[in-house]
Amino acid sequence: MYYVAEVNEADCAKYNCKQCVLFCPEPNTLMYHDKNHVAWVNFPRCKGCAICVYVCSDLLKRNCIQMVMVKAGD
Amino acid sequence: MGLEYVRISPGFEKYMPKDYVDLVQYGQFGKEVDVQQLGQFKELVEEHPMCAGCFMAYFIRVFYAALPKPEDTIVIGTAGCARLALSQAAVPFIYGNYGDTNAVASGLKRALNIRFPNKEKDVVVMAGDGGLIDIGFGMTMHSWFRRENFTTIMVDNEVYGNTGGQESGMSPKGVQLKMAPKGKQFEKINAVELAKTAGCVYVAKISPTNPKRIAKTVRRAVLAAREFGPTFIHAYTSCNIEYSIPTEKVLEDARKREKQDFGFYEWMTDEVKEFFEQLERAPQEVKA
Repeated sequence: MYYVAEVNEADCAKYNCKQCVLFCPEPNTLMYHDKNHVAWVNFPRCKGCAICVYVCSDLLKRNCIQMVMVKAGD
Repeated sequence: MGLEYVRISPGFEKYMPKDYVDLVQYGQFGKEVDVQQLGQFKELVEEHPMCAGCFMAYFIRVFYAALPKPEDTIVIGTAGCARLALSQAAVPFIYGNYGDTNAVASGLKRALNIRFPNKEKDVVVMAGDGGLIDIGFGMTMHSWFRRENFTTIMVDNEVYGNTGGQESGMSPKGVQLKMAPKGKQFEKINAVELAKTAGCVYVAKISPTNPKRIAKTVRRAVLAAREFGPTFIHAYTSCNIEYSIPTEKVLEDARKREKQDFGFYEWMTDEVKEFFEQLERAPQEVKA
């Protein structure tokens, strides 16, 4: 069991901001969908640092990302 | 190295690993990408074992996206955290012995000039404060004295993070670390001024709070090294483990340090300044 970031796509799609993607330390992990204009997380690669939550909630006050617990096989 | 080595021979696509096929089809080989497009193309650096929330890993991620010609670049690193990610990228990586990165880079750059006289081949050294300013100090300085044409990037985490938290020359004065319980007795070394004095033609100091600015700085350092001489970037890349920074506060810490002692600083010689004025003005003139 460990934490990964999960994007609330409905909320995220309102903004078209992409700042979380630009500040994720991991490559090819927090991605951006060109057509839907939402960020999405490649879960197996997320290390759960929550910098994206800091960017989205603390800096931008948009609250579109939260950390969720995943289990092996999820 | 070179585009012809990166591309997959026709008919072999189905036998190659998916990540590699994605890299060739959706990666940045052979094209200029804007760092703002991160997350929309396959990045050069792959999964790596650096710690969660490591901002050195973040700097390295942006560094690779900023390389002007990754297919014609060789990166040199050494012992320290950075090599954990540098060795996982689709750009040739050479592991220098601790302290001799800039000597290896000097020989490599000269050899590339002889082997490929008509091609631009970039050499970039990326190592930590220990590798470049403590143990590698002599070879780093002498490569600058000799005006070697390559870029040196110091990812400064202000500690020997791999070996338990010993102080380095770049640790701030007074800081207490796990293996330096009395607190550091001396000032942090002023690497930027040393680089200027030693003959670097482009010198920058940066805290990774703005990806666009990191990319512009890296690009400028690589391009100036091609044409004029040694270039140096001093980047603050905190060690959240040894400095006990909660992972979600790492960016906040970088912003704080930017206001304190890591404000963006850029210096270049007059000829380099003139070079960039012409280079960076050119696309706008074409557009107009």
